[in-house]
Order: sequence, then structure tokens, then C-alpha cells
Amino acid sequence: MSFELLIDILIATVPLMLIFATVFAFTTWLERKALARIQNRIGPNKVGIPCTRIGLFGLGQPTADGIKMIFKENIVPTGADRLFHLLAPILALIPSMLVLCFLPLDFPWLNENSVKAFLLDGAVIFFFAITGLNTLAVFMAGWASRNKYSLLGGMRAVAQMISYEIPLVLSAVIVVMMVGSLDAAEIAGEQKGGNWFVFYPWGFAAFVIFFIAALAETNRSPFDLPEAESEIIAGYFTEYSGFKFALFFLAEYIAMFAISGLAVTLFLGGGDGPGLAVLPWLSVIWFLAKIFALIAVMIWLRGTLPRLRVDQLMGFAWKFMLPLSILNIFVAGFAWHAKQLDSQFIMVITWVISLAVLYGAASGLNQLNRGKVRPREYKYAE
Amino acid sequence: MNEEISFWILSAIAVLGALVAVRKRNLIHGVFALLVFFAGLSGLFLLLLAEFIAAVQVLVYIGAVGVLLLFAIMLTERVAGDDDRRMISRGWSWGLLAAAAVFVVLLLRPIQQLPSQDAAQPIKPSVEALGHKLINPYVVTLEVLALLLTAALIGAVTAAQGLRMPKEEDSPE
Amino acid sequence: MSILGGGIFKGMAVTLRNFLGSYTNKKERLPTIDYSWRADGALPQGIGDYPKEKGEQLSDTTTVTEYSRNFPMLLHDGGEPMDTVRCVACQICERECPPQCIYIEKDYDENGKYIKRPAVFDIDVSVCMSCQICVEVCPFDAIVMNSQFELSTPDRFGGLLMRRDDLLKSNDYYHKIHPEEAAARDAKIAAEKAAKEAKKKAAAEKARAAAEKKATEAAKEDAK
Repeated sequence: MSFELLIDILIATVPLMLIFATVFAFTTWLERKALARIQNRIGPNKVGIPCTRIGLFGLGQPTADGIKMIFKENIVPTGADRLFHLLAPILALIPSMLVLCFLPLDFPWLNENSVKAFLLDGAVIFFFAITGLNTLAVFMAGWASRNKYSLLGGMRAVAQMISYEIPLVLSAVIVVMMVGSLDAAEIAGEQKGGNWFVFYPWGFAAFVIFFIAALAETNRSPFDLPEAESEIIAGYFTEYSGFKFALFFLAEYIAMFAISGLAVTLFLGGGDGPGLAVLPWLSVIWFLAKIFALIAVMIWLRGTLPRLRVDQLMGFAWKFMLPLSILNIFVAGFAWHAKQLDSQFIMVITWVISLAVLYGAASGLNQLNRGKVRPREYKYAE
Repeated sequence: MNEEISFWILSAIAVLGALVAVRKRNLIHGVFALLVFFAGLSGLFLLLLAEFIAAVQVLVYIGAVGVLLLFAIMLTERVAGDDDRRMISRGWSWGLLAAAAVFVVLLLRPIQQLPSQDAAQPIKPSVEALGHKLINPYVVTLEVLALLLTAALIGAVTAAQGLRMPKEEDSPE
Repeated sequence: MSILGGGIFKGMAVTLRNFLGSYTNKKERLPTIDYSWRADGALPQGIGDYPKEKGEQLSDTTTVTEYSRNFPMLLHDGGEPMDTVRCVACQICERECPPQCIYIEKDYDENGKYIKRPAVFDIDVSVCMSCQICVEVCPFDAIVMNSQFELSTPDRFGGLLMRRDDLLKSNDYYHKIHPEEAAARDAKIAAEKAAKEAKKKAAAEKARAAAEKKATEAAKEDAK
């Protein structure tokens, strides 16, 4: 193996991992702080510079957590499958780290001749293929723990992930249709200059579906049934402690970044933003800023919404998101053909019609799924 | 050179995975070993610059078939299997014969063509070409397959409907 | 017709108001009081910075506020604890405890006669979930919540199993840590006692009246 190639690969991948691992630590702090403020609490504010009383708004908390996690006892339950119990967190981390490579980040330290992390024709389809592996890690953890709550959490996770992967992929299909490529860099390049897909009606609908499905894919509230504390303790990682738990935690957050990054690539213009003509490396900053905006919305939603019931979760995926995303593909197909005619008037008409169709379909599906709601009956209480 | 090293590593992973999948008594271990085999295979596809096939291998075999197998296993009893460690089961000679026959049938043509192929021929990554192939010459096959899958889906829904328990009368408890 | 998904946005507006308000309108939106890192005397029991120095132990009455609750304790009415303990080892709390962290054995004297107190009363605080159900079901007001929180120990099993003698605390201590609740409980006990007394008196009165009536009737009968 040539030495230069190895160096190139390291230059491309190591900073990627370091950036996202650091950002992960910061995000946990941010999440705890924001959730606390939403719930009228202060949040972490003690850990700052060691041996002093300087709190720094608790910014030392991730470091303290990390140290605690590493030195904690590693408990494996009796009767657990020791090999799988060890492998599951690693298997959870690998795909989430791997998919980061498919994001079209233009790093300033990489010149044109140097190797990008991954230059794949089908980056988008690879992204979906590899995120799907998370499901197996979750199931593996649930099964290996030999704990009924873990197994329940694992099965819930599997059912939820395979259900929500369909609307996720189908909404990404719209962008692929519009661009005519599966290459992430090409998709991001198509949206240069504010021509983001989210600004079109079909793109917006796809973005909303994608975002909701992404929440479910990464087990974020309100779809955090696999780790519902009030029902099944911590779900699939009930029996994990110490560093293995930290790995699961890391994997979950990295998966959040990855899927937000994909949403940014597909719908929010990738690294597009003002000031690129003067400073080309700003695109990395813009990309990360957009990821953070999406993460902030995820945290905000977690502070707002209660958890769904299992039947509501499944019903929402199959009865609402799936039909809507299929309809959206049709709408986008018509829009693509309308665009070929190259007429302003036809474009306006397409916009109006697609807006009406999508909104009408969404509210119609909402009405259909509403079911018969009647006041709650109490059988025994007077 | 790089390709050769990668090829041997990936082949070893695939073969080992397949062997463990066959040998393991514990069904869950077997399934995961099978998934390792699939992963090695997808790596080999990637090595052949067949990116789309590799992605589909991961998406369909590891993602979908793996989960399907796991679901099926979770519905069975005695996941851990019997503690029976006999190396070779009874009808082994027939199995070997069948395997050899399949091997010969599958590999006859490629082996015949082998010397004439130019191995160093550069191949262009071909997601687009594959798409055109799927839509143009093979469109009927694709549609028939889609119809078949739809029928299977409807069948699954019907089967699930039929399994529904009779509605219980209002019991006093 | 309401906007699709409008409820979510309404909820998000509420949480956003909370989030921003916690920075601008601390009084209303951020009621959390930061008890640690304060000057001496600022805390209800004068704890101040905690811990002040390495290895420092707080007093037995460690509590953060009057309303903090941690793990159960057993009450006695002063003097020699086992003589005045309120618990009669009826085992109601043992049976009601959801995580089943209480273990009780009854006490017998040398003749094998049941004396109304526990011989063994263990609570595994590593299992206890601080639900207070034992407090609610106790008919003798014998078990109440303590608020001591300094329970860390290097011994994961033995150190977190509270024995009877660790759990016994006087009613005075209870008054010290939870004055309001203790006063209310004492008043309730007194009222119950008074009611019982009155009932007893009334029953006695009634029995006496009945006996008198019977006597007079008998006398009448005799007179006939």
C-alpha cells in the first residue's frame, strides 16, 4: 500500500471523526442545558475549571461525564451473551461513523488532488444502506443483555426503524429525481445560490417527512419508544454501563449528526450560503451551522412533545407518512416535467396545484386517521 | 497490490462468516454470522467497482433479510438450539453432491470465458448505466417482480387480518 | 379549520417562551434555587458550601429544605428507642412496598409471646424508590421519610442495607427536619386518640345505659 494514499486517507477521515466527537460532547451539554431551561431548571452549571469555583456555565460537564464513563465498572449480566454484549456498542458506532464520510463536506485542508473521504457515485443509497445497520446493533444489544426490557426495546427499535426507513428513503427519492444523480456532492452542487429544494412545495413536503422519519430513525423524542424510560427502563441499553454505554450514546448522537447532514445535503443546499465567493472554506461552516440548526430543532421538539404510543407510531408511519410520500413522488414527477417546458406561467400553476394537492392530501389523511374519538369512559370510578 | 490484499481479507471474512453461519447451533449467532458473510460479499462487489450492487447487497440482504430472519427467529422457540456438537450430520454426502452440482452449473460459463477476459480492463462506475438497463431492456422483468412483491404484500396483510383474535365480549373483570 | 400540525407549533411556542423567559424573567420562569455554592447561613440549616473541606461530614440532620424526602425512617417517641418504637411489626409496609425492599421479623419474648415491635427491620436503600407508599399505608405513623442524603458508601451491598437501628429516629428529629409535616402528624395522632377515647367513652356510656335499661326492665318485669 502506498504511503501517500494512507496519509491522504488519514487526512480525510481523522479530522472528520475528531470534529464530530468533539461536537458530540458539546451537543450533550447543549441538550441538557436547553432542556433544563425549557423545564424551568438551570441545568449543568457546576463543572468548569477543576479546583476552582469557576463554573463556565457547566461547560466542563461533558469532560466530567466522559471521565466518569471510562472509569465506571463494566457490568455484564449473568447469562448474557458476552460476545454480543461487547460487540453491540461497537457495531452501533461503526455505521454512524461510516456514513459521515458520505457527507459532501468541502474541507479546506483537502485540495482537489487529495482523496476525499469517499467519492462514491451512489453516496445517497450507501448512506441509507449503512444507517440501516444500526437496527441490527440495537437488536443485538437487546438480545445479548438477556433482559426482557432490553429485548422489548430492541424489538421496538427494529419495528420502528424498518417502518420509518420507507418514508425516509421515499422522500429522498424526490431529490434524486430532481437532480438525476445519487452523488451527494452533485446534489449539493445543484442547490448552489439559494436554490434549495426545501423552497419548493414538493421539496418542503419531502423535507418535513424526511425530518420526522429521521427523528424516528435516530430514536429521538417523540419517537423514543425503544428507550422509553417510563415503560421499559432504558430499553436496549438497560444492561449497559461504563464505556459501552458511552459508545451507545456516542453512536446515537453521531447518527443524529449524520442524518441531519444528509437532510442538509438533500434539502438545505449543503454548504451553500452567503460569502462563499470570497471565502470558499466557509461552506464547511455553513454545513455545520445547518446541522446544528436541525439538532437544535430536535432538542426543542424533545422538550415539547410527549412520547407516542406504539400503535400511534406505527399508524403514523404506514397510514400517513407512506401515502403522503408516495403522492409527493408523483407531484415531484409532474413538476419535473413542467420544468422541462420552461415557462414561467406553467411553473406558477404547478406550484399552486402541488401546494393544494399536498396540503389537501395531508389534511385528508389526517382526517381519515383520526378515528372515532370519544370521551374517556370510567368503568369503576364514580 | 492494494486490491489483492483487500480481496483476500474480504474473501476470508466472507468464507469465515459462511462457515460459522452453517456451524453455529445458536440461531441468532448463525444469523449474525450470515450477515458478516453478506458484508464481506458486499465488500467484494465494491472491489469490483459494482457500487450499486454493493449498496443493494447491504440494503436488501443485511438490512431487510437480516431483520426478517431475526423477526422469524424471535417467533420460534429454543433459539439457543440443542447442544449437539456432531461435526457432520447424516445426509452429508447428498449435501456435498448438491453443492458441487450447483457450483458447476453456476460457474461453467464464467470458467469457460476466463482466459479470454482482460482483467485489467478499467470499468466505469455505473449507477447510471444500470438505471438505464433497468428501465429500458429489463423493464418488463422489473414490473413483474414489482407485481409479485405487491401480491406478497397483500397476502401478508390478508394473513395478518385473518390472525386477528375474535373480539372478546365485555367481561365483568 | 385548524392548520395541520398546528398543535405542535403551539407547544413549541410555549417551550420557546419558557426557554427565553428563563434568561430574561428569572423570577417567574426559573424558580429553581441554587442551594449550593452559597455563603454560610443562607441555607435553611446553615449548610453553605458543601462540602466545605475534604472529608467533612455534615450533621445528622442533613437536609436541604423542609420539603426534601429521601428514604424512610422509623419513628420512636424518645427515650430508649426500642421501648417507645411506634412500629408493631404488622408487616403492612413490607407487603405494600412495590420494589419489596423492606424486610421485617416480629419480636417474641422468651415465652414465645409476640411483643409488638420488630426484631428485624431492614430497608435496602439501593432498591427503595422513595415512593412513600410505606408512609401512606402505615396505620401507626411509625414510618416516615427521612431527608438525609449523605449515603454514599464504598460497600455496595452491606453499606446500602439499612438495619433497624440505623432507621430508628426520634420524633424530635422528625420535628427538626420536617416541622410542618411532623406537627400535622402529631395533631392527627392526637385527634385520632381523642376520637378513639371519645368512642370508647360513648361505647361505655351506651353499654351502661343499656345495662341500666335492662335492669329497669328486669325490675319492671319483677314488679309485674
